[in-house]
Amino acid sequence: MTLDNLPENWQQAYQEMANNTQSDALKRFYQAGVKGLDCPLEEAPLVALDIETTGLDSDENEIVSIGLVSFSLQAIKLRSAQYWLAKPHSALTAESVTIHEITHSEIQDAPRLSSFLDEVLDAIAGKIVVVHCAAIERPFLYRAAMKHYGEPLLFPMIDTMALEANITYKPWWKRFGRQPSLRLDACRQRYHLPRYRAHQALMDAVSCAELFQAQVAHQHLNKQDLTKLYCY
Amino acid sequence: MDVELSEILDTLCEYAPFSDLKDEPILQDMVKDIEIQYVRAGEWVIAPEARNDTLFFIRSGAIENKSKSDKLLRRMHEGDIFGSSSLLRGGRSSQTMRALEDSLLYRIPARWFIQFYSEFDAFSDFFELSREVRLKTAMDNQSSDLSLMTCPVHSLLRRPPITASHTVDIKTAANIMANERVSSLLITEDDALVGILTDRDLRNRVVAQGLPLDVRVDMIMTQNPITIDAGDFAAEAVLKMMATNIHHLPVIKNDRPVGVISTGDLVQRESHGSVYVISDIYKQEDVEGLVAISKKMSHIFTQLVNADANTQMIGNAMSHIGVAFVKRLIQLAERQLGPAPIPYCFLALGSQAREEQIISTDQDNALILHDRYDPALHGDYFRELSDFVCDNLDRCGYPLCTGDIMAKNPKWRLSLSDWKRTFGEWIEKPKAEALLHVSIFFDLRGIYGDKTLARQLNSHIRQLAKTHKGFLSALARNANQRTPPLGFFRQFVLDGEGKQSRTFNLKSRGIAPIADLVRVHALALGSNKLNTFERLEDIEEAGVMPDGRARDLILALEMIGMVRIKNQKTQVEAGEEPNNKVDPETLSEFEKRHLRDAFNIVSRQQEFLKYRYPGKG
Repeated sequence: MTLDNLPENWQQAYQEMANNTQSDALKRFYQAGVKGLDCPLEEAPLVALDIETTGLDSDENEIVSIGLVSFSLQAIKLRSAQYWLAKPHSALTAESVTIHEITHSEIQDAPRLSSFLDEVLDAIAGKIVVVHCAAIERPFLYRAAMKHYGEPLLFPMIDTMALEANITYKPWWKRFGRQPSLRLDACRQRYHLPRYRAHQALMDAVSCAELFQAQVAHQHLNKQDLTKLYCY
Repeated sequence: MDVELSEILDTLCEYAPFSDLKDEPILQDMVKDIEIQYVRAGEWVIAPEARNDTLFFIRSGAIENKSKSDKLLRRMHEGDIFGSSSLLRGGRSSQTMRALEDSLLYRIPARWFIQFYSEFDAFSDFFELSREVRLKTAMDNQSSDLSLMTCPVHSLLRRPPITASHTVDIKTAANIMANERVSSLLITEDDALVGILTDRDLRNRVVAQGLPLDVRVDMIMTQNPITIDAGDFAAEAVLKMMATNIHHLPVIKNDRPVGVISTGDLVQRESHGSVYVISDIYKQEDVEGLVAISKKMSHIFTQLVNADANTQMIGNAMSHIGVAFVKRLIQLAERQLGPAPIPYCFLALGSQAREEQIISTDQDNALILHDRYDPALHGDYFRELSDFVCDNLDRCGYPLCTGDIMAKNPKWRLSLSDWKRTFGEWIEKPKAEALLHVSIFFDLRGIYGDKTLARQLNSHIRQLAKTHKGFLSALARNANQRTPPLGFFRQFVLDGEGKQSRTFNLKSRGIAPIADLVRVHALALGSNKLNTFERLEDIEEAGVMPDGRARDLILALEMIGMVRIKNQKTQVEAGEEPNNKVDPETLSEFEKRHLRDAFNIVSRQQEFLKYRYPGKG
């Protein structure tokens, strides 16, 4: 099971990984399973997650912050919000600083990612993770686990970006002009959600949760079988 | 995680009551307890009969608040808060909340509301202070700047008054005026003001008459002149000068003259034009001259608005000018037709009678004839007089009344007895439908001719109206036919019955409903006032409405009137024909919020009217 080869059956894959792992944290995570994988969306426990990185390439760049918040289709509970800053091994590039506005001095005293990755896993264990752009979140978390535990970390994700691409999809003969933007802020505007300052991991996680609530409400997905929404 | 949710905290703190609490560290704890909820348009937030344990903050979207009986109470949008009243009643909600647009809500658990409510005065005040109080505070703040219209008369006085005893002779008086370089002299007796002498008096009453200069000044002065109190608004001085066509106004404080305001003092100020326009009107020798002056009306109107006159002052000024046009036209008509064969009185109706005229109002008028009236003998004279006045008013920018309520219409040229009989029928056998078309007659003012005729008719109406409950309830029902646009909201407005429109009419849905409902109370009281503001003062004094409600209506009328006038000013300046329609998108946040409050007040008073003058529906 690798990034390029995601399992067909997550429940089974979780069981195998729980049996084979050497890490206590990963064992707890996989043993918690994917609750609600077989239930309708409205009953599933959800957690929105967002990371900020030093760049876009998961082979070269690192995570500098993680934000997450648990939610249901009815409420996003800020009480459950968590946020971590991580000190990367490599230096921040000027480019990334301008994006997430996290500066050298802020992360100077921050802990390494390895010191709190267990907490992150505990926070998302047993829940369906919702992200905007799984193509970033998944490989970065995968590499971080490889570095820290020496083992892969993979779990099913609902990707609001993929969902939006699906919602706004039109066959080529109906397309006019530019394709709709799938950036988080652009997606939110389609649902008349308020504009937030972008690129702060916790607010982006909250943003993503709100966007998902809106998508579900508009597309009447609340009774939907979860597996249909997974991004593999 | 103190800084991470700062964006949510910052947004809350942009709006009252959290803006008053923004330095309280405990607010950061509260933010962590917020739950965010997305609701689709049409979904219930608080369903009928549902309990509520949350204070809601609207982050985006719109929520509609209705009563149990499904009456629209309020539409709320970004930054508004709801749920507080059910929290104060232990969770029982008497109203429903439903999303009108897709909305994002911040839900604040009840315990924070209860805690803040007991700990912070600013917080509890916000929920206790009624909309009415918020409106009042806003109006007070708006008019805090010093302008001609809001500054007191004494602030315009530049020097102590120049006075002379009533016993001095004309020569001495003229010498004082020359030495002091003044154009008017106040004449006193034991320090009290008894008269005024002006340059013009010396010219017209002394030189032109060849009077000897040793005549005592009290023989030629204007006795008991019109005065103004030092504490009155300067604008009222302007209005008094306009109404009476005088150019010097003694200022009185504690029964002693403290100075004189002259038109010269106002020349620097923008509104002097409106003082002169009335004397200009009376100087015109033909209709063409009047038509020429009427072209300047829009300029005079914008001057008044620019001078920050309030709606009462503008209504008053525009009505005085309107009346001057009518009077001058009648004088010109009498010059052509000869003096009237019998006494008559020309009546102003509606807004002109209430002195609430604005720019571009239709003419509404009628004629009372002495009971000696004989159609065969006098019919032609009054037909010709009325045609002349009404047709030429039309040329002067006062369009003919579409409902044909004009002296031009023989139906509305009646003898006093016939008028009394007509009103008697309206009042004693009220038919709501028929009354709808004649409510305008219940605001009636004699403006030219034998005004005792108008006074007699008015007192007849007052005697009759207050004792006829059926009439009052029919009038009340009519007053409630035009409702304020409670749903006025952002880009769309429901105009009339469910039809969407981009604009709404401030006159028919705000100002007229107020005038209508105030008229009912005034007639019930037997008040002899016509002006809506003055009627409201009578109503307040009589205690007809619950405490403070008359005052609320005054503020609401002022607020709605102000928006209308500013809107018309903009239209005039853009070279458009001014009307009463407002596009909500052009309103400021301040105006929107307070218009909403004002409309709520009107709606509540319409409800009260039903209860006060019940009748078969």
